[in-house]
Amino acid sequence: MVSASIMDPRRIESELERHLLSVEKPGRYVGGEYNSVAKDWAGIDIKVALAFPDIYDLGMSNLGIMNLYNQVNLEPDMLAERVFSPWLDMEALMRERDIPLYSLENKQPVRNFDLLGISLPYEQLYSNAVNLLDLAGLPVLSRDRDESHSLVIAGGHACFNPEPMADFIDAFVIGEGEEIIVEVARAVGKLRGASRQEQLREIAKIQGMYVPRFYDVEYNDDGTVRSISPNQPGFPARVLKRIVVTLPKPFTKFIVPNIDTVHNRAPIEIMRGCTRGCRFCHAGMVTRPVRERPVSEIMSAIAEIVEHTGFEEISLLSLSSSDYAWVEELAEEVNRVYKDAGLSLSLPSLRIESASADLLEKIGGTRRSGFTFAPEAATEKMRDLINKYVPDEQVLQTARDVYSRGWRTIKFYFMIGHPEETVEDVQAIIDLCVKTLAEGTRILGKKATLNVGVSTFIPKPHTPFQWAPQDKRESVDRKQRMLKRQMRRGGMHLRWNNYEDSEFEGWLSRGDRRLGRVIRLAWELGCKFDAWGDQHRHGSWLRAFEESGIDPNFYNFRERDLDEVFPWDHIDVGIHKKFLREDYLMSVKRETRVDCRDKCFACGILPKFAKERSTTEDMAWECPPVKPISERKRGRQAAIPLSAIG
Amino acid sequence: MSHLSPVAQRLRLTFGKSGPLIYTSNLDTAKIWERVLRRAHLPILYTKGFNTRPRISLAMPLPLGVSSDCEILEISLRERIALRQDELRERLLSVSPAGLTIGAIVEVDKRASNPQALLISAEYRIQFLDEIDGPLLQRKIDKLLSRKSIIVDRVRRRKRSVMDIRPLILGLHLDGSGDLLAHLSIGERGNLRPDHLLEHLGLSQMHHSVHRFKLHMLDD
Repeated sequence: MVSASIMDPRRIESELERHLLSVEKPGRYVGGEYNSVAKDWAGIDIKVALAFPDIYDLGMSNLGIMNLYNQVNLEPDMLAERVFSPWLDMEALMRERDIPLYSLENKQPVRNFDLLGISLPYEQLYSNAVNLLDLAGLPVLSRDRDESHSLVIAGGHACFNPEPMADFIDAFVIGEGEEIIVEVARAVGKLRGASRQEQLREIAKIQGMYVPRFYDVEYNDDGTVRSISPNQPGFPARVLKRIVVTLPKPFTKFIVPNIDTVHNRAPIEIMRGCTRGCRFCHAGMVTRPVRERPVSEIMSAIAEIVEHTGFEEISLLSLSSSDYAWVEELAEEVNRVYKDAGLSLSLPSLRIESASADLLEKIGGTRRSGFTFAPEAATEKMRDLINKYVPDEQVLQTARDVYSRGWRTIKFYFMIGHPEETVEDVQAIIDLCVKTLAEGTRILGKKATLNVGVSTFIPKPHTPFQWAPQDKRESVDRKQRMLKRQMRRGGMHLRWNNYEDSEFEGWLSRGDRRLGRVIRLAWELGCKFDAWGDQHRHGSWLRAFEESGIDPNFYNFRERDLDEVFPWDHIDVGIHKKFLREDYLMSVKRETRVDCRDKCFACGILPKFAKERSTTEDMAWECPPVKPISERKRGRQAAIPLSAIG
Repeated sequence: MSHLSPVAQRLRLTFGKSGPLIYTSNLDTAKIWERVLRRAHLPILYTKGFNTRPRISLAMPLPLGVSSDCEILEISLRERIALRQDELRERLLSVSPAGLTIGAIVEVDKRASNPQALLISAEYRIQFLDEIDGPLLQRKIDKLLSRKSIIVDRVRRRKRSVMDIRPLILGLHLDGSGDLLAHLSIGERGNLRPDHLLEHLGLSQMHHSVHRFKLHMLDD
């Protein structure tokens, strides 16, 4: 741990001036970017550090962090400053020179902030989050911290199963953070001087906040969870996720990095959520209900971003852009306004259909980034099983449309590793790719390329596959060998997930509170940057499991009983477990569900958020409006362009 | 953006980098400028082709960690703008990141050769952050300057070569405040970076900051 006597910002700056040139990409550690907000430290009451537990280059591309940064800084009595993980060389320097983890804006040690918010969008960041606490000079365990330490909260998609990180984090944000971050910061400001226990009791009253220490877990003899329940009166049995009823205006004053970053561009979220119901998709389940932005709002956001940032590239984000109700109008507008403006727009996550080529052609801008599609599976059986149906002919026709318009590269995403998958299903992936590239070669000759990313299926909490076992090493190896043998050919580039990375992600995804010990031990053994394939130390993690007396296979390879209590069951994402179970059983029977815009399957979102829905306009959500039956018209459907339903 | 528009006007800006920007590489500095110019609504000319890029160029790379107030940027515009220097400087500064400063802005002939080709030397001020032994440093300087040649091994583009760097040191002395002033050759005839000079003086271990304050062109 970094020593308790902490440096002041001036000392930190002077250390940086002396030593920073000895590390790689020093620009990561100095801040000062255009649009970064450095408020007068002494004049601000409530101080929030927002941390992304990976390096600057990655964290700066995270829209979530930027949204929160903006929301907090909009409050006149609050400030938000950024913190990222130092890369290995910088960490060594910091530990050697006793430089504590500091914020980029005012170079203030993290310990001087009232609140530290850690973004945990995926599980591979857990070891880095622990390391980050240590670099900040904070005790890594929540129970070892008191009111003299910054309050540590975490949020992001991985936190829909907060249990593996429960030992380290004081309170979790369950759901969407835009509003709640300010409420929590406000509460922390008011609770200064109160004991940590008291502070957390108040924080837990904010809807969407989960404080693990107020919940006890009991286990059955077989290691499964018997119950999770509040250990004090006044706390809900289940913590319902927080949502924003309508999406706040898009953030447009993006910080413009002084060094190159992974996605050096501005994102605009055009829609949140997805109505498709793919059974493997965590995001599709936890981000319901679907909320869309009006085209006019997106168009003004694009104009503002150009004005505020000078970015040459803007990416229009959603889980399924083709499903955005006004996607054609948006493409038309973008084309009309920005055709010759030297601005490049991208519209990822398009459906595999010919209309996508039209859309991208219109929106294309100057830099044609190429097409990315995710067929996921290549046989009827697997497509039914995962509830994502795209027939081969549609894939091939789309490929023809794309290649014949001069795009040379198509990227496909597939998934292997569902336990029901056979070698025939994998062979079908290979065959489909070969056929697709053949179409390209026929049209473009040797210039045509097909990049294929084949990921390994990891069952995620709060999805219909939360009951399913993960594929074992021998099986994954066999399938990957098939792919490698047949798909390394001219014009085709194959990428796949390292088995150990998938196994690791599996443990943490469906882990329980006992994994806290494992994570801590692994961190003590030097594990960090697990998201970086070459840094992930699988052997150390296995050792940490062994020393904790926990069998890692328990988490990945069991087929869970239909009635099993899951470690995340007390986290309510708004979807009935009954609905998920039904969907899981449908998958076993190869039954599918259509897009829920065509038919509501009563997943649970509407009753949970009926009050919120009743305050919104009909068009604001994809869920049917909550109205007396007499008033329920089909106006919503009429407003969607037919192609978007298609 | 029109693919055919010729250069309507060419501007040469003198600018400086300090503070956080000293850790920005040359390539990334060009990116910063591209965005500053776009935020300032200057009608920059873009290159033709698939990956269009703005027609701007930095005259001479500044080593990472070195501050400066004499860098040169040339930009090509697709339409002429009224060049009121102060107004334009203000307009650019108002959309610039911390640490970017702007000096003179002049129009140059559209057919003038690139400044890269004209640059011959640069002057640096090297400031030591800790107490230094003045007389010792002076002896080191004298010793280095008294040598007729300083042969070093260089690896450039994976080729090893030997090179005499002595002729690249055009001037080297301590000023009254204990700063080291170095005038070093750059460009076609040979390039000596201040950090390499410090290595030869045996001073690289001493914490220091480097500031480039003058670039010399052939016609100067």
